[in-house]
Amino acid sequence: MTTNAATGPAKNREKSLSPWAIARRKFMKNKLAMISTAFLFIVIILSLLAPTLAPHLSPIPDVAKVNISKMNIAPNGDHLLGTDKSGRDVLTRLLYGGRISLLVGASATALVIFIGTLVGSIAGFFGGAVDSMLMRFTDFVLNFPFLVFVIVLNTILFGIVDGLWVLIGVIGFLSWGGVARIVRSKVLAEKENEYVLAAISIGCSPAKVIVKHLLPNVMSTIIVQATLLFASLIIAESGLSYLGFGVPQEIPSWGNMLAYANEPDVLQGKPWMWMPPALAITLTILSINFIGEGLKDALNPKSLR
Amino acid sequence: MVKYVLRRLLGMIPMLFLVSVVVFFLAKAMPGDSLRGEIDPTNTNPEYIAEMQEKLGYNDPVYVQYWNWVTSFVQGDFGKSTRYKMPVSDLLLEKIPNTVFLALTALIITYILAFAMGMYSGRKPYTIGDNLIAGFNYTGLAIPSFVAGVFAVYFFAFKLHWFPFAGSVDIEVQNGTIDYWMSRIHHVMLPAFILGLFSTASYTQFLRNDLIENSRKDFVRTARAKGTPIGKIYNVHILRNSIIPLVTFLGFDIASLMSGAVITEKIFSYPGIGLLFLDSVNNRDYPTVMAITMMLSALVLVGNLIADILYGVVDPRIRLG
Repeated sequence: MTTNAATGPAKNREKSLSPWAIARRKFMKNKLAMISTAFLFIVIILSLLAPTLAPHLSPIPDVAKVNISKMNIAPNGDHLLGTDKSGRDVLTRLLYGGRISLLVGASATALVIFIGTLVGSIAGFFGGAVDSMLMRFTDFVLNFPFLVFVIVLNTILFGIVDGLWVLIGVIGFLSWGGVARIVRSKVLAEKENEYVLAAISIGCSPAKVIVKHLLPNVMSTIIVQATLLFASLIIAESGLSYLGFGVPQEIPSWGNMLAYANEPDVLQGKPWMWMPPALAITLTILSINFIGEGLKDALNPKSLR
Repeated sequence: MVKYVLRRLLGMIPMLFLVSVVVFFLAKAMPGDSLRGEIDPTNTNPEYIAEMQEKLGYNDPVYVQYWNWVTSFVQGDFGKSTRYKMPVSDLLLEKIPNTVFLALTALIITYILAFAMGMYSGRKPYTIGDNLIAGFNYTGLAIPSFVAGVFAVYFFAFKLHWFPFAGSVDIEVQNGTIDYWMSRIHHVMLPAFILGLFSTASYTQFLRNDLIENSRKDFVRTARAKGTPIGKIYNVHILRNSIIPLVTFLGFDIASLMSGAVITEKIFSYPGIGLLFLDSVNNRDYPTVMAITMMLSALVLVGNLIADILYGVVDPRIRLG
C-alpha cells in the first residue's frame, strides 16, 4: 500500500514526506487516538512502576499475603480502593495486575503475529500446493471454539509447565488464523509487483524476498492487526481468568480480580473489589481500540484526513 | 443449488474428521478414563484400573480405539459422566434446551434491537440519535461480555431489581403453567441481552452503513422521482437490499452464541451447556468435558456450513464459482 503514497499526487511529492511521516502526521491530528495513546502510556507506566509506587500508595504493598485483620475494608484514606476478602490492598493488586494482563496480552500478540505472519507470507509467496495446504491448516485452526479449547488444553497442560506461559502459548497457538489469512491476501496482491520479480531475477532467496521486500510493504496491515489483537488477547486473558482457567489464582491479574464478582455478596455489596479491575479492563480495551482505528486511518493512503 | 450444498457438505467431512481426531487425542491426554467414564476415579487400586483398561479396550491399537469411540459417539453414546453417574447424553439432553432457549432469545433481541436502531441510524445519519446509537455500538463492540455482564447484574438485578440475578426459573412455580414460562422469560432476558450485545452492535453498524450506501443508488433516485413516499422507499426498496447480507451472519451466530454461552451462563449462573462444561472441568468430569467439546466444535462447523449455504442462496455468483 505504501507504494501508492510514493507515486501519489504531485503535491505529496513536493513535500517529499515519507509514507511513515504522513501516517504519523495523520495520527497526531486524530484527537481520540492521541488521548487514547496518552492513556495507554499512563497505564503501562503505572503497571511497570508498580513495585516502586505500591509502597507509597498503600499500607500493604504485598500482593499475595493474607491479612486476616484487614479483610473487606471499604475504600478509605489508608486503602484508597479498599481491601479484598483476604485483606489484600485492591490498589496494589490493580497495579500489579496490570503488569500481568498487559504482559500476557503483549506476549500472546507477539506470538500470534509471528506465527500468523510466517504462515501467511509463506502461503502467499509460494502459492500452489504449499498455499492450499497451509490455508487448509489455518481453516482447521480457525474452526475450533476458542474458549472451550483453551480451557481443555489448559487443564491438560496445567502442572506440566508453568501456568502463565501455558496460557500465553495456548492463546497464541489458537488465535493466529486470522492474521495468517490477512497477511496471505496482502502478500498475494503485493508479490505481483515488478520489484518482487526484479528481486527474484537478481537471485534473492525466497526468504530474503519475503523479509526484505514483501514484509515492509505489508507492515502497515500487520501493525493495525497487532493493535487490535492486543486488545482482544487482553480480553481473552481476563475472560479466562474470570472463569478461573487463566492466570493461576495466586498471581494477581485484572481477570483474576474480576473473578471476585462471581460471588453474589461481593458483586452486590462490595463493588470496590471488582469495579476497579472491570473499569481498568474496559478503559484499556477502549483506548487500544481507538489507537487501532486511528492507525488504520493513518496508514491508509486513501483516507483523506 | 443442490450441487453447491452437496459440495459444501462433502467439504465439511474432512474437517469433522480432523476435529474428532484432535478431540480424541486430547481426551486420551486427559487423566483418567475421559473417553467413556467407566473407570471409577476414586478407586486407585492399580489392578482394578488395569483390569478395566483391558476390558474397555485401552490396550488396543490407537486406531481401533478411535474407531470404537467415533462409532459410539455418532450413535449418541457419549460415555458416562463420572460425577453424575449417568450417561453424558442424558445429561446433555437435560441442559441443551436451556442453552437453546437462551441463544434463541438472544437472537430475537439482537434482531429487534438491531433493526430498530439500524433503521433509525441509517435514515437519519449524523444526527444526535445516530451518534448516540454509534456510541452504544462502540461500547458494545469494545466491552468484553463478562465485564458488561457483571455490570448488568450489578445494576439491573441488584440495584434496580428488574431481573433475577441467577438461575433459569423460580423454584416455586409449577412446570408447564403460564407463570412458569413467564418466569423463564424473565430469567433469560438479561443473559440473552448480554449474549447478543456484540452481534447487536455489529448488526446495527452494518445495517446503518448499508442503508446509507444503498440510499445513494440509482433505484432510490428513480423511486423518489416517481413520487414514492420516502418511508416506503426505506422500508421496502432499500431494506430488502440491505437485509440480504445480514442473513448470512446467521450461520456464524449459531457458533458464536453457543460458545459465548459459556461466559454468559457463568455470569448469570444459568444452568445450560456452558455452565455444565465449566462445572465438569472443575470437578474433573472429563467424559462430559470431551463430549461438550466435540459437540461445540461440530456446531462451529455446522454454523460455517449454514453461513456458506446462505451466502450461496443470496448471491448466485458464489454458488456457481
